[in-house]
Amino acid sequence: MPYLSSEETVKELKRALSNPNIQSDRLRYRNYILRVIRSMTQGLDVSALFMDMVKASATVDIVQKKLVYLYMCTYASLKPDLALLAINTLRKDCADPNPMVRGLALRNMCNFRMPGMTEYIHQPILMGLKDKASYVRRVAVLGCAKMHSLQPTAEIDAAIVNELYGLLRDPDPVVMVNCLRALEEILRHEGGVVINKPIAHHLLNRLKELDSWAQSEVLTFLLRYKPRSEDELFDILSLLDALLHSSHAPVMAATLRLFLQLAAAHPAVQVDALEQARGPLLATCGSQSREMRFAGLCHVQQVLRSQPAQFGVHFKRFFCGYSEPAYIKFRKMEILVELVNDENVGLVLEELKGYCTDVSPDLAQAAIAAIGRIGRTYSEKCLDILTGLLGLKQEHITSAVMQSFRDLVWLCPQSTAAVCQAVEACEESLQDTEGKQALLWLLGMHGDQISSAPYMLESHIDGLKTEMSSVVKLELLTATVRLFLQRPAEMQDMLGRLLHYCIEEENDMNVRDRALFCYRLLGCGVEETRRVFQGPKSDPCMGVLTGRPQEPVNNWASWFNTLGPLCGDDVALPASCDTAASAQPAQSSQGDVLAGAVEEPLSIPEMGHQPLGLSLGPPLSHEAFERHWLELDVTHREPISFQGPPSSPETLQAALQLVKIQTLAFSRENVTPWKAYLYSHGSGTLILAELLQDGPAEGDGSGSLAVSLKQVPKNDTVIQEFASVLRTVLQTLTEDVS
Amino acid sequence: MIGGLFIYNHKGEVLISRVYRDDIGRNAVDAFRVNVIHARQQVRSPVTNIARTSFFHVKRANIWLAAVTKQNVNAAMVFEFLYKMCDVMTAYFGKISEENIKNNFVLIYELLDEILDFGYPQNSETGALKTFITQQGIKGQHQTKEEQSQITSQVTGQIGWRREGIKYRRNELFLDVLESVNLLMSPQGQVLSAHVSGRVVMKSYLSGMPECKFGMNDKIVIDKQGKGGASDEAGKSSGKQSIAIDDCTFHQCVRLSKFDSERSISFIPPDGEYELMRYRTTKDIILPFRVIPLVREVGRTKLEVKVVIKSNFKPSLLAQKIEVRIPTPLNTSGVQVICMKGKAKYKASENAIVWKIKRMAGMKESQISAEIELLPTNDKKKWARPPISMNFEVPFAPSGLKVRYLKVFESKLNYSDHDVIKWVRYIGRSGIYETRC
Repeated sequence: MPYLSSEETVKELKRALSNPNIQSDRLRYRNYILRVIRSMTQGLDVSALFMDMVKASATVDIVQKKLVYLYMCTYASLKPDLALLAINTLRKDCADPNPMVRGLALRNMCNFRMPGMTEYIHQPILMGLKDKASYVRRVAVLGCAKMHSLQPTAEIDAAIVNELYGLLRDPDPVVMVNCLRALEEILRHEGGVVINKPIAHHLLNRLKELDSWAQSEVLTFLLRYKPRSEDELFDILSLLDALLHSSHAPVMAATLRLFLQLAAAHPAVQVDALEQARGPLLATCGSQSREMRFAGLCHVQQVLRSQPAQFGVHFKRFFCGYSEPAYIKFRKMEILVELVNDENVGLVLEELKGYCTDVSPDLAQAAIAAIGRIGRTYSEKCLDILTGLLGLKQEHITSAVMQSFRDLVWLCPQSTAAVCQAVEACEESLQDTEGKQALLWLLGMHGDQISSAPYMLESHIDGLKTEMSSVVKLELLTATVRLFLQRPAEMQDMLGRLLHYCIEEENDMNVRDRALFCYRLLGCGVEETRRVFQGPKSDPCMGVLTGRPQEPVNNWASWFNTLGPLCGDDVALPASCDTAASAQPAQSSQGDVLAGAVEEPLSIPEMGHQPLGLSLGPPLSHEAFERHWLELDVTHREPISFQGPPSSPETLQAALQLVKIQTLAFSRENVTPWKAYLYSHGSGTLILAELLQDGPAEGDGSGSLAVSLKQVPKNDTVIQEFASVLRTVLQTLTEDVS
Repeated sequence: MIGGLFIYNHKGEVLISRVYRDDIGRNAVDAFRVNVIHARQQVRSPVTNIARTSFFHVKRANIWLAAVTKQNVNAAMVFEFLYKMCDVMTAYFGKISEENIKNNFVLIYELLDEILDFGYPQNSETGALKTFITQQGIKGQHQTKEEQSQITSQVTGQIGWRREGIKYRRNELFLDVLESVNLLMSPQGQVLSAHVSGRVVMKSYLSGMPECKFGMNDKIVIDKQGKGGASDEAGKSSGKQSIAIDDCTFHQCVRLSKFDSERSISFIPPDGEYELMRYRTTKDIILPFRVIPLVREVGRTKLEVKVVIKSNFKPSLLAQKIEVRIPTPLNTSGVQVICMKGKAKYKASENAIVWKIKRMAGMKESQISAEIELLPTNDKKKWARPPISMNFEVPFAPSGLKVRYLKVFESKLNYSDHDVIKWVRYIGRSGIYETRC
């Protein structure tokens, strides 16, 4: 950056500073000092000028003094011996009648970062703590902290600590807050400043005098205080109530955090606090400045983890503005996905659709992924939009759509047919790895429903030589073998070519090993290969239908209003000063197993949470069912409380299918009595079930469903388990509806 | 707490660097330049973590301000600090630009010294800072006794924002209600989101230590008064005109306890110009203009655009500096514009038709139509149709806010409320005022 070499500049400056002509001309002298500081800012090493700068510090000109002090603070650690020369001047200034000069000198003296400094500053700091001007006291209090940081290993000076605790009662609010800050640093190894009852109450009472930064800091310190009794707790909370509406976002967030942590044992209070903070949080999300908006959005995301419904009505607040920066748009889309409900789904999708054609490919892809996420609950509408997007024939869009399709098919098997149709109609050739992988997976898994699948694979196999990514090659291998198992005639030749190429010519060891593995496996026979390659085609978990379980507030309350929400979980930041306070009993969410969503699209194909080996096939015809039903006696009968038929019987059907219970027939919605007939196979037995709701659901919607089960041959444990699975499904659905 | 504060220009050169804590080294300066300013992709987050150090950055024009810390701090607080820093700098030397920062760098170092100590925010009130900052002029050691006592009282006193012994021959007050309306409208004319963010800026030239009381048509206050037994008439006439304020922030001088309990705004004002309050409303906003776009694609190489703007306020008022910006596709080859009023020009460099009207009265309508010719391209990308944006200035408050009174009481000096000359002005400007097409 500097055009002259640094040495020459330094030399020139040195010459100028020691020139008596210049020294006598105040303005010119100051100009040269300015140049020194400017070079320092640019990263030039001007420490050689230290001697001249010390001389310049002996002046009555405050501006010049400040500049020289700035210089000295930077280089004092490099030239400790020369810095000592300056200390005399500084100590003299500490006794100046002008409080500003006193404060300035004391502050800069404390800023000198060199080891031997402590003995020189100890006395002035003690004087400063007793100074009559609050400006000097502010400086002196922080000076204590600086002194400690110079010698972090030294004994803690009990006298100073006591003095600081005493100064918490200082009339100047900034002095008080500085005391807290200084004590926190000095006592860090003992767990920080102690907040006992008198101190806590003193702080709470003075909260109103503080400026917004100090307020939010004090609120953070208060996290450490544990009220003795319920009464005290609620007194504190009602004192803080007003601050929850503070329009300074940091103060509001700090108050909310304090509320949430103090009331950790009172969920109702927490909910109420979140309710109250909703307005201010939304206001932050619409604030003028982008960064503040971003911070607001991140915190809304935290709140959503526990209360997804809370912001549902305000979804329009999270629509993106055209000129907003990408990071805000990404967050807003993430939030929109969470907010979707039956009422707003149309508008939200319409809005997201608009973003899919955004100029930034990243953003467009994120929007498509968001639509895909919504598709897990509202598959039909989203599939229409996604299929429509394929018509734009743009590469990045097609790629993102394919990825969404893959996830959708895996999680919502009912959308398979529509997806296969769309994939078949899509002619665009994909270039990016992610998109290719998704397409290949779809072709391999559901190639039986895509008539042109072999041709599509063939083009990839032919282009293998130019393919760079080994991940795609691995996926291609898997897909080809899978498709071969379904359509051997068309695929045999292709598979042979692919294996030959991968084994003979491929350089990547990973790919070659996989090819050899496939080759050996095929040698073991088709049945064996089928058993290894054909896993389940969808994820048989209920997470999709029920959505994410609501987390208890205490899970995230401890890192609310820190850097955590802004940077995500992956950032290993030093724990905030209040880890001791935040050590809440971590309540693990012991929701029911079925609702615990597993959202990785490629989980291990294992039905771990399905202890009962229920299976769908072989299908039962209506006549067979009727015959069995009439022949058998009811083995088990129980009422299940259930609020009317689910929003649509189709949902119920899909849900039951996931736990491998087949639905034979059901009556239409809003028909009484409402009936449904189900069956399933398990442990070599056939189970038949009838669900009957005779009375119309009462006003409050709490109806009851009579379940009768029949079984052939009899096996009590199986029937019990079947009943419990059914109960879980119905209950999850009921919760979902309510 | 904040470990250090750096200011860069758009090239990544350091203009100001101030380190408060030992844990922030010189390499942090370079890390930010390399990872954020010179990064190829756009900014992914206003908080960047590099090697366990967090950089909070804000960009103003082409200047970057970055606060650096190694602690887990409250992000919103750091951002608020950076904004405050920007405000203070603007108050001292106007626009934040490379030129201004270079010219005032001594001042900025001085400011940084006073605002933060050891990384902790200390004092940020422009008025109060003025006493500590020796921006220009050389202040000798031998100050007059009076000046010294002033500083002492300022530094120790309870009222940090006003010094004692201010005297004016004419006691004057200027009150500006400045609002910016933000709108996002769908092509069908449906309001997707709208809000007004406003500021009440005051310039006071008052002697002594006056106590002021400010009243506006805030719904809560008016409803309260209505209940308190005010005559029906008053209730009726003001009932409709009161506005619901979503949230508001006040200058430090306003007694918040009084506002919380009785919602009255009383304060001892700082001297000179300052911002009394900031507020936001979202309900019953008077949208000064409506934009009705009509875009028709005629074949692959032609686009017909018709935009009608309607002014929606009293015919006696005049809107000024109206500018409508109609975006055009990237492959535009030529544009013909016809407009009844004002001047319209196609600006190829900005990819937009800019239509300017100097003045426009209320309840009027104006129209522009344009034919855009496109170059045939093989780019299959669809034109994203950015929204039509608008700028204007109107002499009323779109939120409906009205100043009801501003009373001044000074008990020690002998002037009363009637002797103070007061000026009130309303200015409504456009914020982000967009209509999708």
